Amino acid sequence: MNMPLEQKIQEKRSPLRNFRELPIFLFIVGMLIVFSIVIPGFLSARNFVNISRQIAVVGILSMGMTLAILTAGIDLSVGSILSFAISIGGMGIPDGRTIWVVYPLVLGLGLILGLVNGFLITRVAVPAIIITLGTMNIYRGITMIVTQGRYITPIPSQFLYIGRGLTPFLFLLGTVILFIYITLFTRFGRNIYAIGGSEQSAVYSGVPVQKYKIAVYAISGVLSAFAGLIFVGRSGFIQPQAGIGYEMNAIAAVVIGGTSIAGGAGSILGSFLGSVLMGLILAGLTMLSVDPYWQGLVTGILIILAISMDSFRQLRSDRRTL
Amino acid sequence: MIRIDHVSKSFPGVVALDDISFQIDSETVHGLVGENGAGKSTLIKIISGIYTDYEGDIFIDDQRLQINSVHEAQKKGIATIFQELTVVRELTVAENIFLGREPVGFAGALDRAEMERKSQQVLNELNVSFSPRDKVGDLSVANQQIVEISKALVLNTQILIMDEPTSSLTEKEVQNLFSVIHTLKSKGITILYVSHKLEEIFKICDAITVLRDGKHIQTSLKSATTPPDVIRMMVGRSLNMLFPPRTAQKGDLLLSVKDLTRVGEFKDISFEVHAGEIVGFAGLIGSGRTELAKALFGATCPDNGEIKICNQKMKLFCHPREAISQGLVYLSEDRKQEGLILLLSVRENITLPIVKKISKNLFVKRKEEQNIVDSLIEKLKIKVYSRDQVVETLSGGNQQKVVISKLLLTNAKVFIFDEPTRGIDVGAKYEIYKIMNDLTADGKGIVFISSELPEILGISDRIYCMREGSIVKEYTREEANPENVMSVLTGGSSI
Amino acid sequence: MKPGSEQFRSILILILVNVGIILVLSFLSPTFLTYENLLSVLKRMSELGMLAIAETIVFISGGFDLSIGTIMAISGLIAGQMYILGLPFFLCILLALLGGMAAGLMNALFIVKLRLQPFIVTLATMSILRSIVYGVLRGKTLSHFPESYLASGDLTILGLPFLFIVLVIFALLATLFLQRTYVGRQIYAVGGNERSAYLSGISVNRIKYTVYILSGFICACAGLLFSIRIRAVIPDAGLNSPLEVVTAVVIGGTAITGGKGTIAGSLLGVLALFLLTNGFSLLNLNPFWQLVVLGLLLIYVVGREGISKALVGKRLKKKTHQSAAIK
Repeated sequence: MNMPLEQKIQEKRSPLRNFRELPIFLFIVGMLIVFSIVIPGFLSARNFVNISRQIAVVGILSMGMTLAILTAGIDLSVGSILSFAISIGGMGIPDGRTIWVVYPLVLGLGLILGLVNGFLITRVAVPAIIITLGTMNIYRGITMIVTQGRYITPIPSQFLYIGRGLTPFLFLLGTVILFIYITLFTRFGRNIYAIGGSEQSAVYSGVPVQKYKIAVYAISGVLSAFAGLIFVGRSGFIQPQAGIGYEMNAIAAVVIGGTSIAGGAGSILGSFLGSVLMGLILAGLTMLSVDPYWQGLVTGILIILAISMDSFRQLRSDRRTL
Repeated sequence: MIRIDHVSKSFPGVVALDDISFQIDSETVHGLVGENGAGKSTLIKIISGIYTDYEGDIFIDDQRLQINSVHEAQKKGIATIFQELTVVRELTVAENIFLGREPVGFAGALDRAEMERKSQQVLNELNVSFSPRDKVGDLSVANQQIVEISKALVLNTQILIMDEPTSSLTEKEVQNLFSVIHTLKSKGITILYVSHKLEEIFKICDAITVLRDGKHIQTSLKSATTPPDVIRMMVGRSLNMLFPPRTAQKGDLLLSVKDLTRVGEFKDISFEVHAGEIVGFAGLIGSGRTELAKALFGATCPDNGEIKICNQKMKLFCHPREAISQGLVYLSEDRKQEGLILLLSVRENITLPIVKKISKNLFVKRKEEQNIVDSLIEKLKIKVYSRDQVVETLSGGNQQKVVISKLLLTNAKVFIFDEPTRGIDVGAKYEIYKIMNDLTADGKGIVFISSELPEILGISDRIYCMREGSIVKEYTREEANPENVMSVLTGGSSI
Repeated sequence: MKPGSEQFRSILILILVNVGIILVLSFLSPTFLTYENLLSVLKRMSELGMLAIAETIVFISGGFDLSIGTIMAISGLIAGQMYILGLPFFLCILLALLGGMAAGLMNALFIVKLRLQPFIVTLATMSILRSIVYGVLRGKTLSHFPESYLASGDLTILGLPFLFIVLVIFALLATLFLQRTYVGRQIYAVGGNERSAYLSGISVNRIKYTVYILSGFICACAGLLFSIRIRAVIPDAGLNSPLEVVTAVVIGGTAITGGKGTIAGSLLGVLALFLLTNGFSLLNLNPFWQLVVLGLLLIYVVGREGISKALVGKRLKKKTHQSAAIK
């Protein structure tokens, strides 16, 4: 309408305005300061190695989850893929298979399960939340049936290196950097934002939407399997119940990191910071000898805070009501 | 050169395009005008690759156009800027411009420098001030449009289709857009410019094609025609549409609105509706009629002004419930999104606004509900095989009757009908006019919003013309004729 | 529900599925079709059935509730904990129910006031409430309840377990509520098209409050039934319920997008789930077959329309290609 629009959209922006991760980053710094003051021995190398190992698994899962959520989808099957891949891919371990056989097998299984998700989501045209809820059940069921619920233990030491010391965290960092690169600097990555932001625009512009969606779930599958390898390295055995409930932790990390569940907005860095924050608070509370039982309380409150902040921002800019 | 050769397209029950043939010369700005339903948008959807199923041929430089998607059309040099912009808000300007065909360099990385350099080049050509690195979501609508134009330019577009590009721009932004269009033309691009606004058409176009009721009326050079001519051709519909005679007597004042304003949408709107009156609101898309109706009804909250119903001052409504309880109801222009619950039955839809009233101790009185619904089905002649038929399966006309039934049940005094005949066939239209007639004969008042002049002129007792958020003119039934109303609406009178 | 309607058909299919499962299992296992066995199945499905009723109502309104299982746990906890504190037992039950409703109110507040997505909000409240359950119980279980209360679990009326009868009563009431009352009608309307409902003068927000508080209430009742059945309150009560319930409800023909669904369908979904579990254990099969079957069923039931549409769409596209080629 040709009338002076009083609230003309501001075109100026401060450099910090686009840094969505700033609040959570500050929050982490704040927590670090508080814990360092309150908890003697918190600021020690050993402690940080400890915390970093705890963060790694969910952190890696949250990378794939971020991609799925950015496309306005979700992947509820990450925990199931994790246990499927390590339990079934690791069945050769007692027979003396080495990492050179087992690792590719595990990752390959993750890839296949992820591809199955992707195919179903794009071909059957059912919301990702339903499809992955289904496959989550199916993968978990198959895992329990094939393994008969048995643990694989002991595990040769070559499988444990990946879970020692700073290794898990380095792998997490590597994954984070790789996916920051992919989401910010590659065509695939940028197009993922377009798919989640406006699928129609993406189609009109010739973005191979179906192909990219399949790729997203395939990546999520591989990352789940990879997280599984680290999980095995850390725990020293393979249990078929591994990963139950991890999908919720991964979603929490992603949402706390500022990625919008509606798709199209968010970042890998945010999800990384989200998992760091969750890990940090858990560790801090443990060291404060608060029961680990209360961890969920903190996670829940963080989720509410994170999404409320986004919602407030939106409510303010959008006065139009229903 | 684009040659449209005997193109026809029909949808179930409607012929949208009927054997259209005309030619658009290269390196010109070609205006496409016509009223709502004239077939403009169907035509551009065909050229831009959305509708791939039609009769006839389109030739581009004597080559038959064969495309199956918007993307393929783009590859062949045809780009379209739709009214609903298709930019991705989270991405930067450069990323939007290159979406789907990003230059890729080392290790699969985007060649950002290249993208930004080329984008900057295009933006410079268009003489705009934002940067390729800006996030599109932070830009104004006008600049988002420029991003889409830039996208088309980078694509090596030969033909650019613009659908009502100025509908959400300010005066200054329109001027800016026009200078961009001049630049494009000088670069050898052919532009198909679709608009209602004759003022703009005559300012920017070299040639003008008029469509009416899906038929091609005339294509001529701008120099060979005048705004009054074009208006005549747009509205000069053969009198195949009959309107029921108006019989209602004007009665007491039912609704009076004073200085109603909602910032950014409409301002200082004052008008009156009497019992027995149909008051037409004419205007182009974006003139603020629907926004006004929604604010009156409380679907959005007006900023200030005064509303009186039956001479009683109301507090401005801020929830539809309040308006309904005071006897003011609204029929939305979008019956599927804002009128019906498609998954529910005819019965459940009709009684939705009064379902609480026909309940006792929480429970809906079924017998009473059935009687109410049956009598309405009979009264409005809604064609259903059962009152429990799901409304999704009804035809457009019958769906509209279901929505009207809902309103009738509320015992309202004032009805706002927003495009009540949109997308329904001629026979059903006539029935809806009759319903409106009967309502006024019953002492109700009707606010009638329509983009089709013939029906506004055909059944309104008075007509308010809205333009750019204000009422600019009021006509009585006798004073109004298609030419003078259309020229007020299009700003054609000021040329 | 009218014969020939889509919902009627999906319920018919579910009945057939259940009958099929029963037939197959009674052939395969001699103990399946015994009174004791069926009694135990019906008894066991009571609390999950209750949760399914709650989730169905939420889904119909266009919402999502992940916190159902957790609310179930916390209501049992409240009842148990209050009884230990020495409150009269009826007061404990009242507080448990109020607690469930308060949890629902909390969900609704976030969803309505801040316009947050139900999935994420209830994920958060699930996490918070579960943490409270864990924190209070610390891995222990509570089993101090009045004997008459626990004994009601063994009660049978007309040969049917009392717990199952409670479920049936709730199901009937919920069906009556959804199908016959104006609030029920408005719930379907809000889920079917929130905007149309709003423009029809319905207080959409009030409906959302109603739905989540009601869901909280029903889940709290489920918590009481659960404590009766297992004669205790355990920290992990309802941990996997959201998955099982969502699967059963969606299989039962309720749309995740709202506006469509029936209580009967959801309960038939739950029944299928428990018959499968029971059958697999009777046949000494791995109980986890149930997960696989359910997952496949879920994808098939939701996907069948999409699958056939995809096929039809492809065929149509091919046709237009051909006609274009002929020209």
